[in-house]
Formats: sequence, C-alpha cells, structure tokens
Amino acid sequence: MNKETKYKVVLIEPSEIVATGIAEIINRNPEFSVVQTLNNPTYYNSNNDTDIIIINPTVIDYNERLDIRSYLGGTSCALVALTHSNYEESVLRQYDDCIGIYDNAARIIQKLKNAIEENVANPKSDINELSTRERDILTAVAKGLTNKEIADEFNISIYTVISHRRNISQKLGINSIPGLTVYAIMNKLVDMSDFN
Amino acid sequence: MSNNITLYNKRMKVADLLSSDSALLSILQRLNIKLGFGEATVEDMCKRYGISTELFLMICNIYSFRDYVPHIDTLDCNDIKSITTYLRASHSYYTTICFPTIHEGIHTLVKELDNISRKLIDKFYDDYDREIINHFRYEEETVFPYIEKLFTEQSPSGKQYSIRQFEENHSNINEKLNDLKNIITKYLDECYSSPQRFELLNAIHNVESDLRKHSLIENKLLIPLVEKLEKSHE
Repeated sequence: MNKETKYKVVLIEPSEIVATGIAEIINRNPEFSVVQTLNNPTYYNSNNDTDIIIINPTVIDYNERLDIRSYLGGTSCALVALTHSNYEESVLRQYDDCIGIYDNAARIIQKLKNAIEENVANPKSDINELSTRERDILTAVAKGLTNKEIADEFNISIYTVISHRRNISQKLGINSIPGLTVYAIMNKLVDMSDFN
Repeated sequence: MSNNITLYNKRMKVADLLSSDSALLSILQRLNIKLGFGEATVEDMCKRYGISTELFLMICNIYSFRDYVPHIDTLDCNDIKSITTYLRASHSYYTTICFPTIHEGIHTLVKELDNISRKLIDKFYDDYDREIINHFRYEEETVFPYIEKLFTEQSPSGKQYSIRQFEENHSNINEKLNDLKNIITKYLDECYSSPQRFELLNAIHNVESDLRKHSLIENKLLIPLVEKLEKSHE
C-alpha cells in the first residue's frame, strides 16, 4: 500500500460515544482514515471509494442482516462488524472480521488489516495476483486438505474458504484440485515430494 | 436467444451450410456422410442417410450459434435412437481423432520441459484421459443400453436405474481440459514457446468447445426425451 493513500473507512454506528471513540482510535493510525461516520446505513452512498465499512449489525433490520452486502448497495469493500453483543454465526460470517466493543486499539487495527486481506468479495489490492491468504489456502488445497480442515487450520468459516477458493479459481482459470496442484508445484508453493 | 440470428433450415444446400461454418464438416464426418453431394439440400441428404432432418438441423444450429438453445418441442421419442447414434459417433470422433492429436501435442511439448513440469503435465493429462474414456464407456455400456431397452421392453425390469441418476452423476468433463488449457497458456514458462505449443492449444480449444456442445445435446435433448419415454412406461 502506498503510504500517501490511507484506507478509507466508513463507520456506521448509532452510539455517538462509541463512534467517536472508534474513529479516534482509527485516525491515530497512519494507514487508516475514517472519512465518514453515520448513525444510519440509509445514508450510506455505495458509489464512493470506501475501502472498509465498519457497521454495527443492529442498525440493519433483522430480515436484512443475512444479506448485508446487497443491503449496502452491493458493496464489495471490506466489511467489519462492530458488535456490542453476540450474533448468530450466519450473520457474522458475512463480515471479513468482527470488532468487539472491548477490543483494544492494537487489536482493532489488526482486525482492519485482516479484513482488507480477507475481503473475499473484492481482492482489490491486487486484482490478478493471488493474495498471501489465497496462496496459503491454495497450498493447503494442493496438499489435499478438505475445506473443513482448511477452515479449522486458518480459523475461518467454511463459507470463507469456499469464497477464497472461488476467487483463486477465477484468478488462475484453474478449477480442479489436480489442476490447482499442478499450479502450486510449478510455482513452488508445495514440493513434488509431498506427493510421492 | 437473440431474435436476429437466422438459423439453418431444411431447404438450404448442404454445401452452403458448410461454407457458412466449417465446424459443421466434422458433424458430417461423424455421421458418415460422404462428400460429393452436389446441390443436395439438407432435407435430401437427411432422407438419403435416414437421419431426422429436425435433429440434424438442431445439431448444426447448436454448433454454429452460441446463443441457440435447442428444445425437444419438435422432436419425439423416436429421435432418441438417432441422438444416441450421433453421441456414439462423437465419442469415437473424440477418441480416434481429437484426443490422439492432443496426446501427441502433449508428448511433443513435455519433451522440452524440465523434469518436474514434465511429470506434472504428463500425469495430469493421463489422469484426464482415463477419466474421459471412463466417462464415455459408462455412457456406452450403461446409459445407452438402458435407453435402448426402454424401446424393446414394455416395462423395464425393476426400477434400478433412471435417466435422472445419469443426469445427477453426469460429471463435468470440461473442467480439467479448461485447467490444462490455462496451465499451458499462462503458467508454463515462456521459454517453451514452440509452434507446437500453439497448435496444441488450438486442438484443446477445439475439443473443449465441441465437448460443450456434446453436453448440451445430452442435457437439453437426450435427457428430456428419455424422461418423457420413461413417463410413458409408468
């Protein structure tokens, strides 16, 4: 990432105290900048060039929570949940990461970085090359791990593994596991001797 | 389907059909139609060879027009036999002409490669080759005989098999071919850029697009017609 350009963060949080606090923490970091704080997602304009949306899931009606991206105008930027309480797994797995109200500053920044990396909807940083995370997952696929095993190893949901795999296949134009294995060996992600 | 394409019709001359799309040559080849047909129309030719004109036109339309989606409306269950005959002929076209060409191309290509790439490509192709042969064999030894039985037996013995099972297990034979194409196009080192690499890719492209049409005939014509026939037995 170019040092001159900061990741643009939009914060959607109904509590002014919380919003001000999080924005302060984020703006202290040189890589991120909160460009907009909203208390209601209806004011969010999906046409701008946001990199991350941090959103408190309570601001969205229960029925809409399961399809948050389309609710936000089909956004493909990284999505981070800001949670004051517990949510169902099915709600949270749509997010690239999840900030808890008791997380400290270092952890919040770490999660934002992670979300950029994890953002499976749009690997914006490098559109054609595999991201580090994608290379790791490809390596695991080539070694013969199942989606479930990969999810456990990387501590992510199976849903996220599947999205990563879809993106990997889209970038490489290779879908089958044997094909991905050939790619992984040719690119020295795994060693041929792993297979004999 | 877009409305502005003109599909082939039975009054067209076979020679005109071929000059509008040379890909159709291989269909005549598969159907054992001899060249030298002069000014014969599609209808004349189909009659002479005992082929359903409707079906022949559909197959040609599938090959020439990307957006064309065939429908069984104008066919009936008697066309099933012609479809399986065509599909068998296609299998033999693939296994005796297309795949040997690709195999040879792979063989020439890997000779240039480093040890690891050679092993990888060789194994990948051999596995694919085995897979596709098994795929064809399963259709020829299990699926087509089952279908043919539906014509001879009033109520086929037992309910062990139905065409729906075939549909569910009908694997995507194009996936690995597409992978192979991309590996050869994008990921083999550029130092291996013999003319043969281009020729090989061309051959893979052609068979891939042919197989896609082959699957379309199976999924949009064969399976729905056989389902109809199965229902008539119930």
